[in-house]
Amino acid sequence: MRLCKRFVVFLALFALLASALAGCGSGSQSGGSENSAVKKVEIQPGEKVKVTFWHAMGGHNGEVVQSLVDEFNKSQDKVQVTAVYQGTYDEALQKLKAAGPEGPSMIQVYEIGSRFMIDSGLITPMQGFVSTDKWDTKDVEPQILNYYTFNGKLYSMPFNTSTPLLYYNKTAFKEAGLDPEKPPKTLDEFHQYAKQLTKKQGADVRYGAGFAIYGWFFEQLMACQGASYTDNDNGRKAKATKSVIDSKEGETILQWWKDMIADGSAANLGRKTGDSQNAFMAGRVAMTLESTAVLGNFLSGIQNKFELGTAFLPRPSASGNGGVIIGGASLWITNLKPEKEQWAAWEFVKWLATPQTQAKWYTQTGYFPIVKGAYDQQIVKDVLAQRPMFKTAIDQLRGTKVNTVTQGAVIGVFPQARVKVEDAIENTILNKATPAEALKTAATEITKLIEDYNKTTK
Amino acid sequence: MSSKDRLGQVLGYAGLILAAAIMLFPLAYAASTSLMTRAEVSTFPPPLIPADPSLANYAELFRAVPVFRWLLNSLVVASAVTLGQMVTASLSGFAFATIRFRGKALAFALFMSTMMVPWEVTMIPNYLFFRSLKLTDSYTALTLPFLATAFGTFLLRQFFMQIPRDLEDAARIDGCSRLRFFWSIALPLARSGLITLGAYTFLSTWNQYLWPLLVTNSKQMRTVQIGVRFLMNEEGLQMHRVMAGVVFFMIPAGLMLLWGQRYLVRGLMAGAVKG
Amino acid sequence: MASTVGSPVARSRPHRSLMEWLEPWLYLGPSLALLGTFVFYPLLRSIYLSTFLTDLLGRPKLFVGAQNFADALTTPKFLQSLGVTVLFVLYTVPLGILLGFILAMLANRPVRGNKFFQLIFSSPLCISVATGSMIFMMMYNPVSGLFNYMLSVVGMPKVNWLVDPRWALFSVGLVSIWLRLGFNFVLMISGLQNVPQELYEAARVDGANGWSQIRHITLPMLSPTIFFAAVVGVINAFQVFGEVDIMTSGGPAGSTSLIVYRIYQEAFQLFQFGTASAQALLLFLVIMVLTYLQFKLGERRVHYQ
Repeated sequence: MRLCKRFVVFLALFALLASALAGCGSGSQSGGSENSAVKKVEIQPGEKVKVTFWHAMGGHNGEVVQSLVDEFNKSQDKVQVTAVYQGTYDEALQKLKAAGPEGPSMIQVYEIGSRFMIDSGLITPMQGFVSTDKWDTKDVEPQILNYYTFNGKLYSMPFNTSTPLLYYNKTAFKEAGLDPEKPPKTLDEFHQYAKQLTKKQGADVRYGAGFAIYGWFFEQLMACQGASYTDNDNGRKAKATKSVIDSKEGETILQWWKDMIADGSAANLGRKTGDSQNAFMAGRVAMTLESTAVLGNFLSGIQNKFELGTAFLPRPSASGNGGVIIGGASLWITNLKPEKEQWAAWEFVKWLATPQTQAKWYTQTGYFPIVKGAYDQQIVKDVLAQRPMFKTAIDQLRGTKVNTVTQGAVIGVFPQARVKVEDAIENTILNKATPAEALKTAATEITKLIEDYNKTTK
Repeated sequence: MSSKDRLGQVLGYAGLILAAAIMLFPLAYAASTSLMTRAEVSTFPPPLIPADPSLANYAELFRAVPVFRWLLNSLVVASAVTLGQMVTASLSGFAFATIRFRGKALAFALFMSTMMVPWEVTMIPNYLFFRSLKLTDSYTALTLPFLATAFGTFLLRQFFMQIPRDLEDAARIDGCSRLRFFWSIALPLARSGLITLGAYTFLSTWNQYLWPLLVTNSKQMRTVQIGVRFLMNEEGLQMHRVMAGVVFFMIPAGLMLLWGQRYLVRGLMAGAVKG
Repeated sequence: MASTVGSPVARSRPHRSLMEWLEPWLYLGPSLALLGTFVFYPLLRSIYLSTFLTDLLGRPKLFVGAQNFADALTTPKFLQSLGVTVLFVLYTVPLGILLGFILAMLANRPVRGNKFFQLIFSSPLCISVATGSMIFMMMYNPVSGLFNYMLSVVGMPKVNWLVDPRWALFSVGLVSIWLRLGFNFVLMISGLQNVPQELYEAARVDGANGWSQIRHITLPMLSPTIFFAAVVGVINAFQVFGEVDIMTSGGPAGSTSLIVYRIYQEAFQLFQFGTASAQALLLFLVIMVLTYLQFKLGERRVHYQ
């Protein structure tokens, strides 16, 4: 073989080409401007405007989105919406960044992506459509509306809101001699219960608890303690400049998590929430933390294998002054498409925010309605009467005081920050670092991310 | 037959069956899971065989996602890439094998060097390239970058080199042009090489993952691999339905393998090693 | 079709030699154009990108020279990824080739049904990364998955397959080996079928038994195949992405963050096309060195017919 010689030839050639390169090609520039006032563009009679809608609702909830889209398309003849599932919230947002000018007319983005969306220059603020169209925001839940209002301007339309719940196996509670109507309220109680619920049979273990390594739970447990994620009141008073998660409250959470894994009362199920859901439905872990939105999925996966219970997210101490973060996702109209298409998207957004649509959305998925009027709809009343478990989530939301902690942090690099926190949790429960060390590292890394972000977006 | 031979025979079969069972187990488990209900999938101990096998998951799959469109996309992309590679690789392989020309060594080295350039290096600029042309989410983006390969060129060159020089000389004396010689003599002789390349290319294109993940945006343009991935989601791991997709989408590739396997066995090495 | 040689039409000499000069390039043209557009041009563009920092949408913004390379080489995460990738190559390539060889030896025996077994052993060729990974992910669940259930049945302690950093890379490797076993098998069996039978007969006359036949005939005769499988295997192992994307996302604690996944994250999750390009180019360098070493070392040991 003469490959060695060919190799040398290739190297030489490569060097030559590389040196001849200097200053070849340049990046394309495209910027967006933010105008509050949007001139209304009417859709002419007989005209049909196409709207692409990217969302992050998979499985059952994705089918509900599709059925709503179908219903909307049938209800009028001016706008034709195409919904495209783009994977998880993270993936959908990444897809938008990657697609750039090839993006959709509107997209569903999770609450922690809000700051990025505002800074991205890719969107037309919702306020423009609201003002021009004189749409009344009075019926929207004020807590939810506030979350998406920045500097007095509504940037996106809230769509789905969820909070984390404690799901538990009532049958296992009874077996272990625990009262199934008295789920744990604090983290310490949760740990105690988990120990009692853990059952060893030879090499096999049924764990007391198990939930995914998911940064969202950390954020929620921080908020429950009234602790902030970043400085400047979670970045709501002024732009956040550094992360403050390396606090006493943060350490409490990681220590609790680590202790349960260490004494074998909780299973480490990795980062995939699906794995934890499956373990819970199979009766392999007796308690788990999950979003309110998986209730429907749990009910269909458990059937009559055991009795399901729902409760508030356990708090670090019984008398915490914080609460769960009012989050979820909202709908953004992009500026990538002609104005007419943006207005067509607004028609769809408006339709999604009606009490009738929200009532369907809520009863079929478990996401809270964003408008109060939805609770007056008969289907909502029926479901709440039949399935009291749906009420746990509403009670938890309504019991939450609105402040900068429960509003959640506003940073442009939140998705990346969440991953750093997950690294910290992982390193702690795998005994690679103490809670304090792990959080210190995460906080430093997040601060660096925030600094870089603030540098590139002015 | 001596008893030692018979023992060898039995052991040989035992080995074959054991190995086959281990290799097929994941597939069998997937197929079995695809026939279970939602509740049954999340049961412990995990059942190996569905209590009440049902095709409901398949029906559900066909209803919920455009499986046939994805199938069509994958077929179009894999066929186009296969055909394209057969054309480009046979032309360039033929040139390298039969024509003497200045700069051949350099050109060949250039070709072969592309085998070493990892896909990671070219992925980002290629993505930006298609994005700037507004061609993401199209068959063009899914196929164009793969229409030529050094591997195919190399493989077919080995086959063309086995054609006796005399044959070409004789054809030339009879007034046969090079292109005609290529088309009506060389190509038919390299048939098994072409099929090898075709089967290999088809299967590897069919199974592509990262590139289609990057360049497809709409539901209508996804290939089966990306479609299957999006069956997985956060609000509930519906493995019974995912497995129905997994099994269903394996069928076309399986048929391809059934047809092309013997060519693969004969051709892949015949071309690749004797050099 | 006009013929170039023996054509009755007389041509002037320079014209003819131009044709002759041009002809091979016409054959190479399509391939050259495509490879140029999708391999060489991107390679150069990568080098350009690697000298920039990009903004939040991945547009080159700030020229930084070689800073991205220096950063990559001093970032523990990039070095960890390189280490993990090398370990992954060592786990999967030799074992994959060995298993392929064993399967090929089993299925190459002239027994009834061997064609059927050959088909089964090449079956992973039609299993994609996405589907294979999902099947295994289901079986790997630490508390409700099939694997740990089977271990508990035989009284063995459970293994936290994808969740334990000590096991995760191995678990991902297992899936990778299985997925590529079809290819390795096909390579090995076609290699075996090219070994002349007379060699074995001669050896039998000399009284060589099974093992010494393998050692002195099969392996030497198969060495070019094994060499080819090793080169292709290493190149492929350096490009493993789907298994990690679907099963572990690079975790736990970075233990499965193979280099492609790392670059993908840098580029398409963090939108740092500059640093990602620098990392990809460093990887290119590593692969070149490795391939060169393989040829240097391999050529001495390979027996060509």
